[in-house]
Amino acid sequence: MPEDNSVIDFQSVNKYFYLQHQKTLKELVDAAFRRRKTLERVHALKNVSFLVKKGETVGVIGNNGAGKSTLLTMIAGVSSPTSGKVDVKGRISPLIELGAGFHPELTGRENIYLNGVILGIKEGEIKNNIGNIIDFSELQLRFIDMPVKHYSSGMYMRLAFSVAVFTNPDILLVDEILAVGDVAFQHKCLNRMAEFKKQGVTIIFVSHSLATVENFCSRVIYLKQGVVAYDGEVQGGISLYKSDVHEI
Amino acid sequence: MTIIKYWSLLKHLTSREIKARYKQSFLGFFWIVLNPFCQMLIMSFVFSHLLRISEIGVPYPIFIYAGLLPWIFFQNSLSSAMSNLVENASLIKKVYFPREILILSTLLAKMFDFFLSSTVFILLMIFFQVKITQYWPLFIIIFAIQFLFTYGLGLLLALGNLFYRDVQYLFNLVLTVWFYLTPVLYATEFFPERYRWIFKFNPMSVFINAYREVILSQGQINWGSLGIGLLLAVVVYLISYTIFKKMEGTFADVV
Repeated sequence: MPEDNSVIDFQSVNKYFYLQHQKTLKELVDAAFRRRKTLERVHALKNVSFLVKKGETVGVIGNNGAGKSTLLTMIAGVSSPTSGKVDVKGRISPLIELGAGFHPELTGRENIYLNGVILGIKEGEIKNNIGNIIDFSELQLRFIDMPVKHYSSGMYMRLAFSVAVFTNPDILLVDEILAVGDVAFQHKCLNRMAEFKKQGVTIIFVSHSLATVENFCSRVIYLKQGVVAYDGEVQGGISLYKSDVHEI
Repeated sequence: MTIIKYWSLLKHLTSREIKARYKQSFLGFFWIVLNPFCQMLIMSFVFSHLLRISEIGVPYPIFIYAGLLPWIFFQNSLSSAMSNLVENASLIKKVYFPREILILSTLLAKMFDFFLSSTVFILLMIFFQVKITQYWPLFIIIFAIQFLFTYGLGLLLALGNLFYRDVQYLFNLVLTVWFYLTPVLYATEFFPERYRWIFKFNPMSVFINAYREVILSQGQINWGSLGIGLLLAVVVYLISYTIFKKMEGTFADVV
C-alpha cells in the first residue's frame, strides 16, 4: 500500500455479477421456451478507486442499486472483485442484519456467544464482556436465558447490535442499521459510534439519511450507477446528490 | 490451518445445530436414536423373508444396523450440507469466514448423531450375544475415510445447490438409487463373483463392507479395497475443495 495509515484501498475495482433470474430447472426451461434472458450481467462497480485512512468516517450515499451494498460486501471480504484490487487492513466488524446468525431456539446468552464468534471475537473476550453486552442491550435479566424466539423484534435487534458494538473493530461497516429500533436506542447507538470515532476506528457508513451522514461523517463518497461520482468533503457530496435527485 | 484458527466458530456452529434440534421437540435426542432403530426393525422384518440371510453368519438386525448407521450418516450429512449455504444466506452476505466451516459444522453435528445412535447398536450386540472383538476400534479409521468422502461430496453439492435449487431434488433421487446399489440390506456375496467388482467402485459399499469386517467378522479388513476407498475420498475432497474455494468469492452475489 502506498501509505502506512491507509486501511482500505480500492484500485480500479470492477465488479460484475450475474443476476440469475431462474433458481430452479422448471423456471429455466420455462424461460428457454419463452426466449427470456436466463442470466443478466450487471456491472455493479465501474472502475472504482479510493483510499480510506485510519480513523476516517466515510458516508456512502447514492440511489438504490448504485452499488453501495456491493461496495460494503467487498470491504467485508465476502465478495471478490472481478478485476482490480481491494486491500483491507485490520479487524472488520459489520453491523449485520438484525441477528443474521441468531438461532430462535437458543437463548439470548447462547446467541451472544454464537454471534460473537461469527463476528470473529475470541470466546474469552466474549466471556469478559458478556456483562457489558447484556447491559448495553437493556434486556431484563429474566429474558437473557430465554430462547430468543420469545423476544420482541425490538429486543432481538438490541441484542444483535450490542454484540456487534463489542467486537472492538478497526473498521466498522454500518448499513442502514439505525433505521430500526426506538429513538432512545438509536440515540444510544449513535453515541456508541461517536465513541468508536474518537478511538480512531474507521467507519464506513451507508445511509439514506443525509442528515445523519452530514452530522456524522467527515467525507462522502457518492455512487452513481456504479461510478464514484463524488469523493470529498461532506457538503459538496450531499448537495450534488440532492441536485441529481431533483433533476429526476 | 483454517480449522484451528476458526475452531471456536466451528464449535459454536456445531453446537447450535445440535442444541437447536433437541430443544425443538419434546423427545429431542430420543428421535435421533429412534429413527434408525425403527428403520432397522422394519427392514429386518421385511427382508428376512426375502433373502438368504442364513449365509450371513450374524443375526440379520445386527447385520443391517452395521450398514444402516453409516448410510444414514452419509445421507443426512449430504441433505443438510446441500441446504446449508442457502439457509445461511444472510450470514454469507455480511460476514467473512471460510464457508467450508458451515459445511463442516453440519457434518460434525451429524457425526454426533451417528455416535449417539451407535450406542443402541452396542446394546443390540449384547442382546444378540454377538462377540465384541478387539478389532472394533478399527472402525474409527473407516469412519474417518467416510467422513472425508462425505465432506468432499457435501462441499460440491452445497455449491451446486446455491446456483440451482434442483440439485437437492435431483440428488435425493440419486441417493435413493445409491442406497440400493450399496450393500446395506444385503451382502455383496449374494451376487455372482463376476458382478462384484461393481461394488469396489462404490465408496459407500467399500466402507460398509469394511465396517462389517471389523465389527462382525474377525477383523479381516480388505485393505486393498479400503485403499481404493481412501483414494477416491481424497480425490473427491481435493477436487471439491478446490472448486469450492475458487467460487467462494461469488457466494454473496448469488445467494
